[in-house]
Amino acid sequence: MVTCPGCALLCDDIEVVVENNRIKETRNTCRRGAARMKGCVNRLAPSVAQKPDDIENAIKKAAAILQNAKSPMLFGWSNSTCEAQLEGIQLAKKMSAIMDDTSSFCQGLLIERILQKKFRTCTLDDIRNKADVLVYWGSDAQDSQPRHLSRFSYFPRGELRQRGYEEDRIAIAIDVRESNTAKICKGHFYRIPPKGDREFILALMDALSGKVPAYEPKKMLELAAILKKAEFGAIFVGLGLTYSIKDDFDILIPLADKLPNFNIMPMVGHYNMRGFNEALFKETGFVNRVKFDGKAIHDSRYSIVEALRKSIDALLVVGSDPLSSLPRSVIPHLANIPVICIDPCVTLTSKIAAVTIPCAVSGVETGGSTVRMDGKRVELSKCIESNYLNDKEILARLMEAL
Amino acid sequence: MGIDVGKYLKSPEYEIKITTYRDIFQAEALECDRFGAEYMKHSACLVMSKNDMVKMGLKTGNRVKLANNYGSVVVEVRESKRDEPGGIAFMVNSPWSNALVSDETGGKGIPEFKNITARISLVKDEATTLESLMGSFRK
Amino acid sequence: MVTVMELYRLLPGTNCKKCGESTCMAFAVALLSRKKNIPECIPILLENFKKQKEKLELLLLPSAGAEETGMIIHPELCTGCGNCVVACPVDVANDPRGAAVGCAPTNDKVIFKVKDGKVVALNIKECRRFGKNRVLCYACIDPCPAGAIEFV
Repeated sequence: MVTCPGCALLCDDIEVVVENNRIKETRNTCRRGAARMKGCVNRLAPSVAQKPDDIENAIKKAAAILQNAKSPMLFGWSNSTCEAQLEGIQLAKKMSAIMDDTSSFCQGLLIERILQKKFRTCTLDDIRNKADVLVYWGSDAQDSQPRHLSRFSYFPRGELRQRGYEEDRIAIAIDVRESNTAKICKGHFYRIPPKGDREFILALMDALSGKVPAYEPKKMLELAAILKKAEFGAIFVGLGLTYSIKDDFDILIPLADKLPNFNIMPMVGHYNMRGFNEALFKETGFVNRVKFDGKAIHDSRYSIVEALRKSIDALLVVGSDPLSSLPRSVIPHLANIPVICIDPCVTLTSKIAAVTIPCAVSGVETGGSTVRMDGKRVELSKCIESNYLNDKEILARLMEAL
Repeated sequence: MGIDVGKYLKSPEYEIKITTYRDIFQAEALECDRFGAEYMKHSACLVMSKNDMVKMGLKTGNRVKLANNYGSVVVEVRESKRDEPGGIAFMVNSPWSNALVSDETGGKGIPEFKNITARISLVKDEATTLESLMGSFRK
Repeated sequence: MVTVMELYRLLPGTNCKKCGESTCMAFAVALLSRKKNIPECIPILLENFKKQKEKLELLLLPSAGAEETGMIIHPELCTGCGNCVVACPVDVANDPRGAAVGCAPTNDKVIFKVKDGKVVALNIKECRRFGKNRVLCYACIDPCPAGAIEFV
């Protein structure tokens, strides 16, 4: 049994068939996990100034770039092992660097509040064993965390849910789109307009308090009745909800307070985003967007998007592709500063990078620790041999070279 | 040889709202080869409700230009297989959708990835390639 | 999916009983459930029914690859989510510590497994749609939002 690094479910019941030191077949992974474990077609090669070079030179040059920078930034981290993340935090401290991860424009708002204990939460195993009412809110688990419904939330039998999903569990979807997850929730799909989540929350709170809500009163009262009856409920907060209420995120707290039997679960995409958030939180009290300057300063100026626009003069990217995932309008700023890219594969970012350093694929060519979306620690396995350094080793070498 | 009148007429332009979503087939293609044809097929694509397509005179397989103050891309139109009421179109989150997203976040650092407004018009151009999306930023 | 009426309309309609069924309609039903094959209809083998016979073959072609229960899996649509693995009542009964509780199957008695991110069917004779006491079970179809499993 090995662990799949495809998403933050970190399925640890995977079998792989290895032939000639390649993964020939995966068993029990979803389609995306299979693709991740079988690897990409374009492996990254070491380069300096867009010319092929050896890894030693690449690391040396990367160290020089970081050393010459007045305000370097270390970014990525959600596709790295906990060990690499800790090494990265030490590197950031040593260099007085700005540090941020992909949660900055993803689920950071939610994870921060969960770690601050502003929401009740639980493990995925609790959900499997006890949950009777499941709310997928702005979350298409079927496409983003494909085994969520089958492994944990809806379909499996659990300790208190022995009779199968048809009788023991109710699945509800709240979304702007009839996603694959919403399709499974059939009779309990609440379609809302984009940015309609705030209004929906307010109406639901009214309905839960016994008032007649201004918005879709019949449907809201019906939903409130289902939620009130729940013995053990879970709200799976997806990016759809997080983005929609990002300017007033704490509006979710009074709703959670009105639902004492419910737990909030962050639907995390990248396999170890929560690992980074927890590590930085432990070190600084913040989950992302930090500048180390003697002490850790937290500010939205240190988010990747804002920092790129304004303050940084060198960028180290580990296991992420900001050129692909950020608004294109921010990209010209990237082109004006030296970028160092550590990744197993060629990415859009690696193509413009001043230095590229290839690394082993975590969970396939190297092991390490990770943190599942619910906070449970899961070990990755090494399935095949590889000559690539892992990202922790690369960061340690960078540290030495400084 | 007849005259292609359509060639001289500017296609009507509409304003649409676009939201982004995740698709496992696109995610699979990304894992395998983010520069490959399969990834582009799933990404350079706008999914619309039948109602909206009829209203705007579009057919599955047509190519449209999506443009706003932040950028523009040419993508293929596909009719939604779901019973969508219309008023909103969908794109899988990718560099193509990101071409239409502002980096202005009111200082808060989270762009409006799922709340895009753009002008849409029928064009004959080929869909924008990743190469050309990248082009101007190459060093 | 093809219907009984579509098949019936192509049959000779003579109710000759040569196939062993009492009417052409009964034969159409048997064709659809693959209990009978086209050549068992003697009149349709004649030259003047050639076109009808070809059409029938075409209609029944999609089910030609079906397992004995009529199950067809479309691997190109499957996302490998495993909902069918966990929802199938046979899998639940045969693997109470694996598939039943959402984990990977722990034995080879289950009907569904996922390989390379796509579902494959095994032990098809265990399917509740098969055999004497068969029932019209939808437990693998309903949980599949991709439409990757169908019965013909």
